[in-house]
Amino acid sequence: MTSDEAARLIVGGLKNAGINLVATLPDINLASLLREVDEDPAIQHVPLCREEEGIGICTGAYLVGKKCAAIMQNGGFFNSNNAIVSTLLQYQIPLLLMIYYAGDVGDRTFSTTGALTEPVLQALGIRSYVMRDPEDARELIQRAQILTEDSKRPVALLLTKEVLGRRAPLKSL
Amino acid sequence: MALKRFDCLKAVAAACGDALAVSSAGAVTLEWNALRPSDGNFRVRTLGLCSSIALGMALGLPRRKVIALDGDGSLLMNLCSLPTIARMNPKNLIHLVFDNEVYEASGSKKTATGVGTDLVGLARAAGVKNAQWADSLEAFERAIRAAIAGGELCFIGVKTGTERVEVPPYPIDEVENKYRFLRYVEKTEGIEILKVNLPASYN
Repeated sequence: MTSDEAARLIVGGLKNAGINLVATLPDINLASLLREVDEDPAIQHVPLCREEEGIGICTGAYLVGKKCAAIMQNGGFFNSNNAIVSTLLQYQIPLLLMIYYAGDVGDRTFSTTGALTEPVLQALGIRSYVMRDPEDARELIQRAQILTEDSKRPVALLLTKEVLGRRAPLKSL
Repeated sequence: MALKRFDCLKAVAAACGDALAVSSAGAVTLEWNALRPSDGNFRVRTLGLCSSIALGMALGLPRRKVIALDGDGSLLMNLCSLPTIARMNPKNLIHLVFDNEVYEASGSKKTATGVGTDLVGLARAAGVKNAQWADSLEAFERAIRAAIAGGELCFIGVKTGTERVEVPPYPIDEVENKYRFLRYVEKTEGIEILKVNLPASYN
């Protein structure tokens, strides 16, 4: 499946789960997904400068009735940890965290970041699920949204290269 | 000349109507709550996130005024919120910064604004067109009244002193603050935010 097709399935899943505001920071592997988010008129897209501010933006939007997701790389998840602890967990705010899993098995870069991603999520008590097949995206996103709303805690979906589809080869810079 | 933050907050309370208010970690929260006790107040615990939480509210409720009661230490910790606010350009957001040039709640060490960093200059450079210093109480009152009456994103900085006013402690914890705020928004906006779903066996 191409990354554009996978992106349509994932964004379709977000909308099916009621998500209507998405805060993002780019990673090359997220490029098709973020384009799809940006072009969808049913989703308010908030491009960030740093992931931690996205935790605040999603908190404020949740408090006035929006359903939010934050899409970032796992390095950005580490950037967000203080806000996740002292805002999301302290105030019991639900939020769907869609985290690109850099350093996943078979990935050549960021193996240290990859090695620490699931242990840190676990230490924070954030339940997480690894997404591999884009065909499962709709179902998993729906379930994760139910869990985050019901538990009033963030829930993480780890986006692997497989679930994001095959991207077009990079042009040399 | 440095103004009293409490006097500035009085001017905000007098002008703000039913605006939602987000206050930064620190004494500003206690002073604001003494002057305008309301379930429409949200206290921030993460230093820096005040302006970001206010931005999220402003984007989610574009017809409701949202006021961020920010401080210099807080804004300096989350400077990237300025370009993001400028980029999203919410017409209903009023970003106030009480700049006392110290980390007041953390031992009063100097912040970068105490040695020359200009927060209004940073806001303008980030793309917030309507950013200004208020250099007297009258100028601040005028600016806040204009911001409430107007329809554009505003950033107002004011230099304040470090004296504190005796006010009661914050009466509720974070989770109660969340629920009260949510219920207040539901009631005043006529919307449903917190729907408690029945277990499947009840369906």
